[in-house]
Amino acid sequence: MRSLIGAVIWKEVREIRRDPVTVSFAIILPLLMLYLFGSALSLDVKDATLAVYDLDKSPASRALIDAFPHSGYFRRVHDIRAETEIAQLLDRGNARLVLVIPPDFSEKLARGQTVGVQTLADGSFPPTAMVVAGYAAAIVQNYNLEQLRKAVSAAGHGAAHLSPIDVDSRVWFNAALKSVNYIVPGLLGVILMAFPPLLTTLAVVREKETGSVQQIFVSPIRPYQFIAGKMIPYAVIAFMEMLMILAAGVWWFQIPFRGSLPLFLGATTLYVFCTVSLGLLISSVTRSQLVAMLLALLATLMPSFLFSGFLFPIFTMPAMLQMYTYLFPARYFIEIVRGIMMKGIGLEMLWPQFLMLVIYTATVFTATTLLFRKKVV
Amino acid sequence: MINNARLAALVRKEMIQFLRARFMLALILYMYTGEVLMCTFAMSFDVRNLPTVFTDFDRSAESRLLAERFRSSGYFSIEHMTTRDPEMARLLNRGEALAVIVVPPEFSRRLAEGSPASVQLLLDGSNANTAAVAQGYAQRIVLDYALERIRASAAGPVPLPVEHRPRVWYNSELRYAYFMVLSMIALAGMMVGVITAAAGIVREKESGTIEQMMVTPVTPAEMIAAKMMPTLTIGLLALVPSLLIAAWIGVPIRGSLALFFLFSAVFLVSSMGIGILIATVAETMQQALLISFLVLFPILFLSGTVVPLESMPLGLQYLAELSPLRHYMDAILGIFFKGVGLEMLWHRVAAMAVIGVALLAGGILQLRRRMR
Repeated sequence: MRSLIGAVIWKEVREIRRDPVTVSFAIILPLLMLYLFGSALSLDVKDATLAVYDLDKSPASRALIDAFPHSGYFRRVHDIRAETEIAQLLDRGNARLVLVIPPDFSEKLARGQTVGVQTLADGSFPPTAMVVAGYAAAIVQNYNLEQLRKAVSAAGHGAAHLSPIDVDSRVWFNAALKSVNYIVPGLLGVILMAFPPLLTTLAVVREKETGSVQQIFVSPIRPYQFIAGKMIPYAVIAFMEMLMILAAGVWWFQIPFRGSLPLFLGATTLYVFCTVSLGLLISSVTRSQLVAMLLALLATLMPSFLFSGFLFPIFTMPAMLQMYTYLFPARYFIEIVRGIMMKGIGLEMLWPQFLMLVIYTATVFTATTLLFRKKVV
Repeated sequence: MINNARLAALVRKEMIQFLRARFMLALILYMYTGEVLMCTFAMSFDVRNLPTVFTDFDRSAESRLLAERFRSSGYFSIEHMTTRDPEMARLLNRGEALAVIVVPPEFSRRLAEGSPASVQLLLDGSNANTAAVAQGYAQRIVLDYALERIRASAAGPVPLPVEHRPRVWYNSELRYAYFMVLSMIALAGMMVGVITAAAGIVREKESGTIEQMMVTPVTPAEMIAAKMMPTLTIGLLALVPSLLIAAWIGVPIRGSLALFFLFSAVFLVSSMGIGILIATVAETMQQALLISFLVLFPILFLSGTVVPLESMPLGLQYLAELSPLRHYMDAILGIFFKGVGLEMLWHRVAAMAVIGVALLAGGILQLRRRMR
């Protein structure tokens, strides 16, 4: 019994070893993804670059301008002298925000008229543009508040309504608001969903395509033994990929790991089996490797990227799509990983996600065995 | 080099083979339609209805007014009210709330006195971008509230001193959805082009039928041209439903559709060039598919389809010039959004053509060497 599973595992290991493409694929691609997402995709907005076009050059305009670097969100890098510079700065990405103060700024302010101040944000990447525009709006409002307080109290209307209200904000779990801190844990969910299922699918469908699966059918091996034998080598590869990503994340990207390592390893083992069984499920409904690959792409990689909360928050999606995200295990796993790594919480908080992953894996594995059995008989 | 009658026969064979794989056709169609539609709705970075806890230690008319402000902004959705610390921590830890707004006990008394008051905001930073956007919104809501109190206190109407007129250069959140639609259409073309071309040739290698081809008078150029026909046809036809979806969502179509199809054809041919080159290297179907994936991923990432190229390191930006997808993206954005024509975009189509010809020449040479 055992030895039959062992025989399938051994056969698979030899096939993997013989094929350098598969091995390098399993090692290179996760690291490449980690590099591109960790380094080339930056959503950070600390110290956004600011260019100022001050046409007024008065003490009043300087007070507003100074409020930007004082807020801690902006770094003033350039003073614009001619209007043509604005487009250049934004096009080259040298400034994330341009602040334009009109020539009559101090004059209108002194007369008590409303004066318009324009900000231009580089919108080529909306996530960061929205943050930058939001900070700018808050800084201008704050300036208004100060101006009005002075004006109203000078007019002697008493102090009754003049309280400034400030927002004392604290960010939990990621105080520096660094994007790698949440991208790398999320990437773990995406990568483990992308490659191990693909490799397992191809491992089974390959045998169907070449016809060698017929030999399996006539052998005394039982479906679950064949499936387990196909699953284990790829689960081991996936587990090693996970360790690689974790090591790179903690040592190279310096992301914090606050929770329990054993719990984390338990969760990834569960997830790895889940994704690998999903790959086997796909293989049981297809006969061609090309179709298997496209199906794996659409059923595992795309949803784990889009509908898992990896980059795009789930709560802003339309209700229908929010329900849809529950269909993919990446969502549960990413919640677990971020919970353990960023929040440092344990099973007492994360048990619903764990439970869902267990149910999911069991369902997929059973479905795979059942579907495979039909073809054996 | 190419004999028309032979080519026609080969194209017929390829067409029959391609159309017989019904399930694959369905998947390709889904990539061009369903996937495009879903991404458009799912991929938003905006913050709306953020699940929020409102912790009111003050229980005054003022604090209730502030809660109302947060609620009616649409950015925050107040789903829990509690003043118990462990409950707040539990909600944040379990991810049931992503923000906590705390109104301290002395809030209304301080406002009445005219002394500085503060509101505390706790944010879940496990999506740093969401937290940063929410922080900006919260500050604005509180400041607006403070401002209005001051303006109401004066005898007459007080004008706002400075009015903020924000403009977003290039792109607004709405246009990001439009951008994503085009980006997903381009991605679909790229994936279908590379994968079907690679698989089409490797299949013949694996089953040994390529040896039979070698003993016929068929030339490598004919074989490759015939292999490309079905994907090119289907790839262009599938653009029609994609365009309907784009139009339905409201993507502006300012330029010429004929030009769009021309560009798409050149783009598909050059992506198939990548696939063919992969097929000459790979020995088995598994290798071909894995190499395709290995090559596709960086190309997709580096072509400005999700993340703008400008925000990447300079070395990667130069590398991206080698990707047909990068030129295609730039061209279709120009056609759809700016309505520009060939006079502005000729260098993009030229670049795609050069890349495509180079890849195909490489593929044909490799194949010819093998066929000898």
